[in-house]
Amino acid sequence: MQVKIIIGTISFMLAMMVLGYAAIRETARLERFTAARSGRQIEAGAHLYNQNCATCHGVYAKAEECYDASTGEPIGCIGLPLNYAPLLCGDVSLRMEAMNWEGTKESFINATLTSGRYGTQMPTWSQQFGGPLRDDQIADLTQFILNYGTEELCSAPIITYDWPDTYAAFSEQFPDGDAAAGQELFVTYGCSGCHGNLEDEASATVGPWVGNFPEVSGTRVEGLTAEEYVYNSVLHPSDYIVEECPTGPCAGPPSAMPDNFPLRMAENPQDLQDIITYVLGE
Amino acid sequence: MTTFVDQVRELGIKQAVIAKSDEVVERITAGMNVSDVRAALRGDEPRRPNPRLRPHADSFWLHIRPSFYHTEVTNIYPTFRMGWMSTFMFVWETITGIILMVFYTPSPLIAYGNMWNILTNVPLGQLFRNMHRLGAEVMVIVVALHMLRTFVTGSYKKPRQFTWATGMILLVLTLMLSFSGYLLPWDQLAYWALTVFLSAAEAAPAPPVVNQNILLIAQGGPSLGANGLLRWYLLHVLLMPLLLGIFFFVHYYKVVLHGLSLPPGREEIGEDTAKRVPRDERSYFIPDLMTSELMWTALLSLFLIAGSLWLWDAPLETHADPVVTPLHVVAPWYLSWSQGWLKLADKTIIVGFIPALLVAFIVMPYFEVGKSRRYADRRIGLSVSMLFIAFMLVSNWMGTPEFRVESSPDREVSIKVLPEEGPSQLMAVPFEELQPGSYLPGQTIPGAPHLTLALEHYKDVLEDHSCTLGNPALANFHPAACKVETNESGENRYVVGINNKEAMPDPYSELRVEQIQDGLLKLTLYYEVANPDNLNEILNTSDDWVKYKHIDSNYAEECRFANKC
Repeated sequence: MQVKIIIGTISFMLAMMVLGYAAIRETARLERFTAARSGRQIEAGAHLYNQNCATCHGVYAKAEECYDASTGEPIGCIGLPLNYAPLLCGDVSLRMEAMNWEGTKESFINATLTSGRYGTQMPTWSQQFGGPLRDDQIADLTQFILNYGTEELCSAPIITYDWPDTYAAFSEQFPDGDAAAGQELFVTYGCSGCHGNLEDEASATVGPWVGNFPEVSGTRVEGLTAEEYVYNSVLHPSDYIVEECPTGPCAGPPSAMPDNFPLRMAENPQDLQDIITYVLGE
Repeated sequence: MTTFVDQVRELGIKQAVIAKSDEVVERITAGMNVSDVRAALRGDEPRRPNPRLRPHADSFWLHIRPSFYHTEVTNIYPTFRMGWMSTFMFVWETITGIILMVFYTPSPLIAYGNMWNILTNVPLGQLFRNMHRLGAEVMVIVVALHMLRTFVTGSYKKPRQFTWATGMILLVLTLMLSFSGYLLPWDQLAYWALTVFLSAAEAAPAPPVVNQNILLIAQGGPSLGANGLLRWYLLHVLLMPLLLGIFFFVHYYKVVLHGLSLPPGREEIGEDTAKRVPRDERSYFIPDLMTSELMWTALLSLFLIAGSLWLWDAPLETHADPVVTPLHVVAPWYLSWSQGWLKLADKTIIVGFIPALLVAFIVMPYFEVGKSRRYADRRIGLSVSMLFIAFMLVSNWMGTPEFRVESSPDREVSIKVLPEEGPSQLMAVPFEELQPGSYLPGQTIPGAPHLTLALEHYKDVLEDHSCTLGNPALANFHPAACKVETNESGENRYVVGINNKEAMPDPYSELRVEQIQDGLLKLTLYYEVANPDNLNEILNTSDDWVKYKHIDSNYAEECRFANKC
């Protein structure tokens, strides 16, 4: 019996020591697991992004390199760039400011994913509103998108350009457009995602077809030439909204067309001149 | 009755306190004062009348325990302490379970988040979760061994048939308790294990309307969802423990009533002398048995705590997803045999057979009425039981995907190298060793020992699911020669091994690593299989097996434990 008492006492003391050892290391373990949790959320988010978002926002979330989900063909990116300083950098990013968002960046992205963005091509993703994703998946995706907001991305200054009010002033700075470059840019900026190509009217699935612009764009708004009209419509899509879109009456105002081209084209305003030249066939 | 103040006046403060303490101890122990306790601990003979018997008469906790046992049954053999250990495990599970309940809400919306909260935010949360899960599996083992022991020593025989019957029910309840807890984390492992279990239950040999309604009740709806989780939670924390408690007391009452059966060789054939214990062969509960039980409590606690900390981790897979079926859905190991049987014959027959088998086990002692408990007289019974154990072990193996559910060979390789869920050698490779690029199976990467080891494993797995037709281009690995099977439509099928497992003929495979975010890698397994008749024609390529690995994901920690990777 003495042996049993000794074995029992030692075992009990060892058990308590093991517990104590675990307790001492617990703070570090909790930290490791907290990091692991967020790492795995990002991993799950990457999967979801690939399955659901890359078609419109691009493989690297730059609104470039979009591929048709079923055929694998390259297509124009309908979505906005997400791997993008104006969305992710700063406590209140430019995008949050533009949308008058009062909450955190995380809640901004989460809310955008959950309920979509009304009037645009961004659908509701949460099952709460008829979308396909559960809320934990939305949280995973949010973490994944936030993870693009690296120091590297945010340390580069955001380039802005003070767009002239009129096309005339703009074309003084950028007089010549390159139609061939414009054709490429028409895809790169995702224009073709909604407006299709210039050859086939049926290729425009969301926004109005622009293949007839050489003829019609000068007549759309009284007092605006074709160039002025296109220039204004790219920079301020909600100013003049066409009545008929391929799927019925056009949405808006505000227009379904993204209004962030002034910022996206700021680095290279020449791009807009190229696109205008391409669209108007000059 | 003198008051304490009177006592102080009479005896002085010191003596009065001693007397009072004595009285308190005597009340708490329901009959033993301080010197009795000390004498018991020293192993002295008790005074007369024996105060060590009074707790059995007067206290609640000990009134169900016998005051003495036959010394023969207090040794390790014949009981191996299995019954007591089962009870200990039940108490252990109750305590750890109640602590975990504090941090758990049975709702699909947050149950999985609760699991991560336990892991990331609750001090010692992981340890308690591990202890509960490890305890559950140990309890299944202990209860099963307890039953085996009872069979082997013939202790189920008259008059203990009813004890055996309640024991069988307790075994089933233990399995059900363990399995009902399986669903609660609401991860893929849980969700799909239960879905498979329920789909089997739907095939029970009863009219469809009965099965469908049982399924509806068990799932809480047309598919497993919020109501289902709540129901299984209530089963787990309320109904099952309650039933187990009830049957435990019935079982234990019968154990005490009939006494623990002596080793078979100690009795005349056909006699039961467990309750007739000669004075010189008595071991008293106080102090002998109690000391022993306290020692075992300490030893088992040490084992369970240390095991949960160092040897074993409760798994947690990704969030349950009704639309993503994992490649291989497996039952927990203690139910794997049933999954094995389901592969053998029609579902309805198997699902009908299991309850029939259970009933057969329950009523067995009433039909198996051979009088002798001695091993030499029970050669047939013992042989049958050993065959049954062997059969169960084989059945358990048949429950694994190894047996008859291999999918395409490239997927079989993928799931071993980069599993859909949980860690693998490759997932556990330190982040800095995985530089973007492509890697070949079996490649040696200088300065990256873990990666080299993982690529070696990749090669082994690939060899296991490939075969060669003599293509000299396979520089890195050496699979076995292909056997060719031609099916009815004239298509060739390439197989290897004794069980003709499908294999890729002379495949090319590589691991592609791409950095897609800061601290996030995309790992893709790429396969290319050429037409064996025309090596220039690529028959099949696949690059759709993708896993992501984040710098903080810490799969290495999961891999350290004995049960993984």
